[in-house]
Amino acid sequence: MATNIQETELTQEEKFQQLMKFIESNREKKGFLIPALHKAQEIFGYLPAEVREFVAEQMNIPVSTVMGVVTFYSFFRMNPVGKHNITVCMGTACYVRGAKKIVEAVENTLGIKPGETTEDRMFSLSIQRCLGACGLAPAIMIDHEVHGRMTPQKLEQVLELYK
Amino acid sequence: MDNYRAHILLCYGGACLSSGSDKVKVILESELEQVELHHEIDIITTGCMGTCELGPVMVIYPEGIFYQKVKPEDVPEIVQEHLLKGRVVKRLLYKKPEKEQLVAMFNDIDFFKLQKKIALRNCGNIDPLNIEEYIAADGYLALGKVLTEMKPEEVIDIVKKSGLRGRGGAGFPTGLKWQFTAAATGSQKYVLCNADEGDPGAFMDRSILEGDPHSVIEAMMICGYAISADQGYVYVRAEYPLAVERLSQAIEDAKKNGLLGKNILSTNFNFNLEIRMGAGAFVCGEETALIHSIEGKRGEPRPKPPFPAQKGLFDCPTVLNNVETFANIPYIILNGPAEFASLGTEKSKGTKVFALAGDINNTGLIEVPMGIPLGTIIYDIGGGIPNNKKLKAVQIGGPSGGCIPIEHLNTKVDYESLKELGAIMGSGGLIVMDEDTCMVDIARYFMEFIQEESCGKCTPCREGTRIMLNILTKICQGQGTMEDIDRLEQLAYDIKDTALCGLGQTAPNPILSTLRYFRDEYIEHIRDKKCRAGVCADLIYAPCSNSCPASVDVPAYLAYTKVGQYQRALKAHLKTNPFPAVCGRVCPAFCESRCRRRDIDAAVNIRAVKRFMADQVENYKDAYPDKKEFNGIRVAVIGAGPSGLSCAYFLTMLGYEVTVFEALPKPGGMLTYAIPEYRLPKAIVNKEIAELIKYGIKIKTNTKVGTDITINQLRQEGFQAFYLAAGAWDSVFPPIEGLGSSKVMSGLEFLSRINNGDEIRVGKEVVVVGGGNTAIDAARTALRLGAKVSLVYRRTRSEMPADMEEIRQAEEEGVTICELQNIKSVSENNGKLDVEMIRMRLGEFDRTGRRRPDEIPSSSFSVKIDTLILALGQKPKIEEMVNSESLLLNPDKTIKSDSNKGRTSVRDVFAGGDVVLGPATVVEAIGSAQSAAEEIDCYLTGKKEEQYYPWRVKDPIEVPFDPEAEPVSWGREEHYLIPVKERKGKVEVEVTWNGKVAQKESERCLRCEFKEEEGL
Amino acid sequence: MKNLEELKEIRERVRKNLEMRTGDFAVKIVVCLGTCGIAAGARQTMNRLAELIAQSGRTDIIITTTGCAGFCEQEPMIKVQEKGKEPVTYGKVDTKAAEEIFNQHVLNGQIVQKYLFTKGE
Repeated sequence: MATNIQETELTQEEKFQQLMKFIESNREKKGFLIPALHKAQEIFGYLPAEVREFVAEQMNIPVSTVMGVVTFYSFFRMNPVGKHNITVCMGTACYVRGAKKIVEAVENTLGIKPGETTEDRMFSLSIQRCLGACGLAPAIMIDHEVHGRMTPQKLEQVLELYK
Repeated sequence: MDNYRAHILLCYGGACLSSGSDKVKVILESELEQVELHHEIDIITTGCMGTCELGPVMVIYPEGIFYQKVKPEDVPEIVQEHLLKGRVVKRLLYKKPEKEQLVAMFNDIDFFKLQKKIALRNCGNIDPLNIEEYIAADGYLALGKVLTEMKPEEVIDIVKKSGLRGRGGAGFPTGLKWQFTAAATGSQKYVLCNADEGDPGAFMDRSILEGDPHSVIEAMMICGYAISADQGYVYVRAEYPLAVERLSQAIEDAKKNGLLGKNILSTNFNFNLEIRMGAGAFVCGEETALIHSIEGKRGEPRPKPPFPAQKGLFDCPTVLNNVETFANIPYIILNGPAEFASLGTEKSKGTKVFALAGDINNTGLIEVPMGIPLGTIIYDIGGGIPNNKKLKAVQIGGPSGGCIPIEHLNTKVDYESLKELGAIMGSGGLIVMDEDTCMVDIARYFMEFIQEESCGKCTPCREGTRIMLNILTKICQGQGTMEDIDRLEQLAYDIKDTALCGLGQTAPNPILSTLRYFRDEYIEHIRDKKCRAGVCADLIYAPCSNSCPASVDVPAYLAYTKVGQYQRALKAHLKTNPFPAVCGRVCPAFCESRCRRRDIDAAVNIRAVKRFMADQVENYKDAYPDKKEFNGIRVAVIGAGPSGLSCAYFLTMLGYEVTVFEALPKPGGMLTYAIPEYRLPKAIVNKEIAELIKYGIKIKTNTKVGTDITINQLRQEGFQAFYLAAGAWDSVFPPIEGLGSSKVMSGLEFLSRINNGDEIRVGKEVVVVGGGNTAIDAARTALRLGAKVSLVYRRTRSEMPADMEEIRQAEEEGVTICELQNIKSVSENNGKLDVEMIRMRLGEFDRTGRRRPDEIPSSSFSVKIDTLILALGQKPKIEEMVNSESLLLNPDKTIKSDSNKGRTSVRDVFAGGDVVLGPATVVEAIGSAQSAAEEIDCYLTGKKEEQYYPWRVKDPIEVPFDPEAEPVSWGREEHYLIPVKERKGKVEVEVTWNGKVAQKESERCLRCEFKEEEGL
Repeated sequence: MKNLEELKEIRERVRKNLEMRTGDFAVKIVVCLGTCGIAAGARQTMNRLAELIAQSGRTDIIITTTGCAGFCEQEPMIKVQEKGKEPVTYGKVDTKAAEEIFNQHVLNGQIVQKYLFTKGE
């Protein structure tokens, strides 16, 4: 469950190749910048300057426009993140059911604050407004997997699965 | 593994091991070897199979035979019979329990019974990834019908007639939107689906996309046909990876089956559908922002008009509906608009999906007809509030919505009525909040959300919400001023009027609605620096202490008890509350309901520790706080109950000379006269009062102020201030016939006569009416007089205001609780009482958020009894006492007092306890005495500094504590009660713990006060 | 799919199958696999059930998925449908419960009261 991430590292060049192919095959679609950035982030893990420039060049869009879009959406990251991304839901339901304590527990366990990454680059922590798992509040998402009914104790068990 | 012909799964879980599965394995191995089956049959030990009470258990495959309670001696038989000869060993098979438990069928459960599923019709019923299952559920049939039998304008007409309105928030009529777009000029048009479900607390769109993606695809095509669009986009938020995955799969399947693409179902209708993923911007739920985002731009909104129907995606006419709206469309087409319109209210037709979350038992997604009362959703479908907590408010509509308080549970939920209450339907997120939620903090939470999500394009939203957030943060930290409330309100209206988009215009709603219904809490935060829910960290010392009306330093006396320093423990208690032994017996322990230890296992048994600790100290003298030197001022207290005596105590501490005037022969008020001996021995009351007298309080009994002496005379005698704490001694009687009989009495009269030593003959059959603590006390006392006692209550047992523990003990002792009944009339015949009773049922919700009990017509019946005790409430009786003063009273005869702080309409008269609060608890009486003592001091000296009052100052706790250490593992120790058969007469029901138990229980305290101090 | 008639044919065919609830199978297990179900551990439950079916060697037991049934509090939820019987829904089915339900109900036709949520559609 925790290992559905591709373990084989692509070279930087292969990554750019992959991104170019994706843009190429969708060239006729209108307004395709955001899907292209999603793909780029999926491939590179984040959107450093060279990737943003590459997308701009390939799609024939000014770099400044690409930058404007990247900065607008909180989903796009300009800094590298850990292998596993821990997202603590701070939606209203989770908030009233004690999400604050879950954030504190992650902070204490991993020694990182929201927006930070552990030194070993294993985990990053971020806050989201609602994962839509309100029925199981408080909830967290690690990569694409949602875990519900969290408690500080259960959190440690769940984190073990990803270590 | 393939070489084996059979597998034996042997449970090696802890329980099975302890019942001997390891021995079974050893025997099994040797038996198999003997018959030379060990190469054919594999023994697999498994983790716990869960049937621990049946262990050791094993399952033999391939047959899947389940053997239970297998002992080593059974093994040879299993090997010989089953494995060699293939005959099942029947005596070891799992046996069905004798009687199959009655299980509710789906349709009998309120959760399902009250629902009507249209948008969610397939969710949870079909495999979302199997297009054929969707087709089997009439999927794509509506599309087929539309394409082959109907003209586009007919489709629009049907949607219009159905009365369907947008389910995403604003509630714009869907048919009209389609009509405008169809009528707009342009060769290219688009259909968009808004699945950017950003409102925290709403997850219906996600559920539909995950559980029934084809319904959305089909509906978008129907819309495409109606407005002649051939391209659609679904805009899904990035936080929903599973929804994206399922929807992509569904689109692929539809394409493969020729249901998307060109010439669909051999007509000339073409439709293409793409998914666009959001990227974490709440504002993109706003339609113009969403359109910008699909275009690949920053998702900033733009002013309207032009509306998307004229100028939408890529400047072409566009329909934008949300997921739930679309999910209704196929149903409406197939079943006709009339059926849909038959549900709901005049202006809100059909059903609405709500996401139930927060402090509610049945969290989940529900779909109900519009117009259903809010209370029905919360209590009947939602199953009420967990842990016996009280409902405080329901947040509906997300950050653009509002909080609806408990008074409005009867609201019929539809677009219009919610708007009237200052909330909105929004996408249908319904978050239930119990009494532990701080409404100021919730407002702050939403403002933080809006502030983070504001796109920054317009100033009112960008700057205005930031200022509001700052003010709210200040208030939550106890730094607010009363002017801040006005500023918040002003800003809120300014933003509403001037923000650019819907998000900004509705952003102040959470503030406006909390200010509308919970202004008290704002004021409390600002003026009293108090957060009643115990949420705002800067305003709380520890949750237990914070929730105590007398602010007793619970962590301190637990810590000192833990190390055996009982005198110091008592000292910490006496600072704020002079009645530790009394409260150790009768306090409802508000502290325990907030104890953080509950997150681990259960609350610390604080009251039992307190009782133990107080009982250890013979002499309070050295544990009392130092008295200030006599300041020459004399104060009179009227009423020697817990509130009067406490106020006298606090004032004595400050250097006043206080005399307490008591009308009755003995001091103690309700402690002496109302609470029965078996709960509160009078020796304990007398001891604590005697200690107070030693401390310096003067008590004059048999002196009734108003008749024996007036307040004015006392003024002339030199008393400079007065504290009225005369209690609530007047009983409330129902307006029925026949109450004049001597066999009818009030609960309070009954209890006080018993406590006074009077002999009362109650006879064999007693009925007590009421559900509060007085009723329970009366019932248990009557029981001790040898009667058979029925307790009649008009609501249900779970709604009784009495302490649950008391109710349980009463039942144990033999009191019969007759719920949902009431008395109609009484008459005395031949030495017996004929009581006419009537059955009740729960009707609509009243303003306290409880269901009102209504009589069931012609359900009355009569009983013959000996004594009727009515415990239906008490009110103050002070007219005589204050007739010379111009003291203002409330309609319920309590004294009008400014926010229960003790000031009255007369300058030098202060009041507290039941006379202000109505019948309340001992600790509340003490708490109000504390604040009144401050007010009195402030009145007499003209100054008020919090740190001046000893009870406000928390001393450091000198008991070592390691915050890094794991909390101790043991669970809560319950109160020690004597066996039921020994509960007779005046014998105290509860027993004080011994030191070992008390110390061990005290160790469970998490020392919340410690952590918070460190965090500063 | 060429036309409406073909759509209706599929509908009739699959519907008949679904009406028997289990199709060609003796037992059908349906796992609610929405985000909330997954968050509560439905994937582990589903994997465990699949393992148990494989271990049992039974080919007449099928496992399928569905979306959120709305009762998040009871997640993970599974529905066990035996041929010719009323479907039975279980709540809070973790892997342990799944093993019990599989052994007692799926294999031996006995409802496990402990986890029983409802019977019927």
